[in-house]
Amino acid sequence: MLKRVPFYWKLTIAFAFVIMLILMIDISLERISEVKLRFFLIIAVTVILSSISAWMIVRLTVRPSLSKLAQGMDKLAKKRFDVRLNENDKDEFGHIFSSFNVMAVLISSYQTELVRAKDFLNSILESTADIIISVNARKEILTFNSGAEKALGYMREEVIGKPIEMIFADPEEREVAIKRLKYGDNVVNFETKFLTKSGEVKDVLLTLTLMRHAEGTFVGTFGISKDITEMKRLQNQLIQSQRLSAIGEVFIGIQHSMKNMLNTCKGGAYMVRTGLAKDKREMFEEGWEIVQIGIDRMSDLSKDLLKYVKDWKPKLEPVDLSKVLSDIDTEIRKSAKDKGIEFHLDIAKELPEIPCDAPMIHSVMMDIVSNAVDACFWKDYSDLEKPNVCVKAYLRNGRDKAVLEVADNGCGMTEEVKKKIFTPFFSTKSKAGTGLGLSITSRMIEVHNGNIDVESEPDMGTVFRIMLPMNVNLKNKEISDGKESAGN
Amino acid sequence: MAKKVLVIDDDENQVRFLTVALEESGYDALKAYNGKDGLEMIRNERPDLVLLDLMMPKKTGFTLFHQLRKDDEYKDLPVIMLSGVAEVLEDLDSSSDDTHARPYDSLREAMRDKIRNMKGDGLLKPEMFIDKPIDPELVVDKVRELIGN
Ligand SMILES: Nc1ncnc2c1ncn2[C@@H]1O[C@H](COP(=O)(O)OP(=O)(O)O)[C@@H](O)[C@H]1O
Ligand SMILES: [Mg+2]
Repeated sequence: MLKRVPFYWKLTIAFAFVIMLILMIDISLERISEVKLRFFLIIAVTVILSSISAWMIVRLTVRPSLSKLAQGMDKLAKKRFDVRLNENDKDEFGHIFSSFNVMAVLISSYQTELVRAKDFLNSILESTADIIISVNARKEILTFNSGAEKALGYMREEVIGKPIEMIFADPEEREVAIKRLKYGDNVVNFETKFLTKSGEVKDVLLTLTLMRHAEGTFVGTFGISKDITEMKRLQNQLIQSQRLSAIGEVFIGIQHSMKNMLNTCKGGAYMVRTGLAKDKREMFEEGWEIVQIGIDRMSDLSKDLLKYVKDWKPKLEPVDLSKVLSDIDTEIRKSAKDKGIEFHLDIAKELPEIPCDAPMIHSVMMDIVSNAVDACFWKDYSDLEKPNVCVKAYLRNGRDKAVLEVADNGCGMTEEVKKKIFTPFFSTKSKAGTGLGLSITSRMIEVHNGNIDVESEPDMGTVFRIMLPMNVNLKNKEISDGKESAGN
Repeated sequence: MAKKVLVIDDDENQVRFLTVALEESGYDALKAYNGKDGLEMIRNERPDLVLLDLMMPKKTGFTLFHQLRKDDEYKDLPVIMLSGVAEVLEDLDSSSDDTHARPYDSLREAMRDKIRNMKGDGLLKPEMFIDKPIDPELVVDKVRELIGN
């Protein structure tokens, strides 16, 4: 009862009580003069009156404003964000009310934004075809979006609260992904398999994220998975058809070579037969020689085939390229001259020894140079132009690579041909070409950690450039072009 | 007088056994080792029939053939094409377009396209295709079929 009496009332009453007590004592002892008594009475009356008026003021002005404020707060708490207070009061409450109104407006706009953001997130979760599932710390499904419903065939009511393992084709795999989570808070594009309601297995890429409270405690996981079943199927189909088509190209290539060799043998055999039948020894001998040529070509092909599949290991040694190139010069010059082709050799002065496998580089240069000679032979030159092949050797600007360049002004290649020249058995030459030359050459350059660069234009000519790295650790006979370590 | 047959092919061995076979059957065999020389020989010697290889340096068999068919003087000159890819070209008239189309078979496809284009130009295709490996006696039979003895 006493508690509900305001403090200032208690104070006033206590004060009045004390004064009365003093007065009563003074009166009873008759010590008090009339003047004193009156003074005390005036004070007492003043205090009581001022208390009463203060109370009245509070009662009439502050209280209603405070209760308005309290009601406003109440409404806000009940999410009625449209509540506003009358700002017209001229006293401090006018200020407070307008601050309240500002606050209410802010809260209401934050609230709208929050709702909008939530709707937005929800619509993303629901509209995406990705499978989005969150799981709590007890491995039970918390949320299951419509993408998940569509892909896995379950309605969310059927799975929420169920163990997440049920959708993994192999529940162990989830553990593998979770283990990886220990190294960071997410696992990106983990390839796994989900099981649909009907028992179908789907390939998915799973991106898994740990969900934590602000203070860091683990509350569950959030997984986004992409159904890649169809993509994988198409990919496999493509690989399969590419493989078939590659095998097809190879078969056609071998068949084409064999056809040409058989053709030679068959023609030769005809001459042998006719020579024997008509007793023409010369024809017989000539025919036999042609058969022999066919057989030689077949054994060349078989050697090339073996060469192609061989596991190449270059023996690297410092090589004086001018020696290798002048060997080629003597080998080629004669046949080039027979065909009316000019042949130039241009080796840079002070070219250092190049770390490489000399026999391999010899075979590479032979191949490229004879291709250049062939290209000249195939072109129909005008009177103004002379067929020529030019071989150069020099160091690239940075001196980090040796360049071997073969340029011809022969028939050149179309873009389409250029794309295929390193494919085994690709050849545009009708008879002699096996189409294995450049594919072997490119492998040899590859094992040197070098590279080949080709520029060509139909009817204008072709430039082949071979680049060989200079920084090679010869002691260990390893190529140390950043790939292999020098110490082994 | 014996009929003249010109063999144009860059494969010397093939030229050799074909000319032997032709001569054995009483034809006058002429030879050229590339398209350019071949055309000159046609102009100078006026052969009765040409055995033409498809893939040759300088001037391919196709280019030469195209040139012949466009030239009023030579447009009726019988030509037998020798090639490694003849079997797909033979049935160009009869078959639907894709019976032989294999995606990886680019050379043949290119040949088909060339022939198709040629027909698009209103030109006749060669009298005959003969596929490798060639049987020289069969070639002579075909020559006889076309121009007689
Ligand atoms: N210098 C060149 N100019 C034009 N074409 C070239 C040149 N070098 C290579 N080629 C093309 O690359 C193809 C493949 O070459 P390669 O592998 O050596 O086989 P092959 O010489 O037996 O035909 C050749 O048939 C030719 O079409
Ligand atoms: Mg070659």
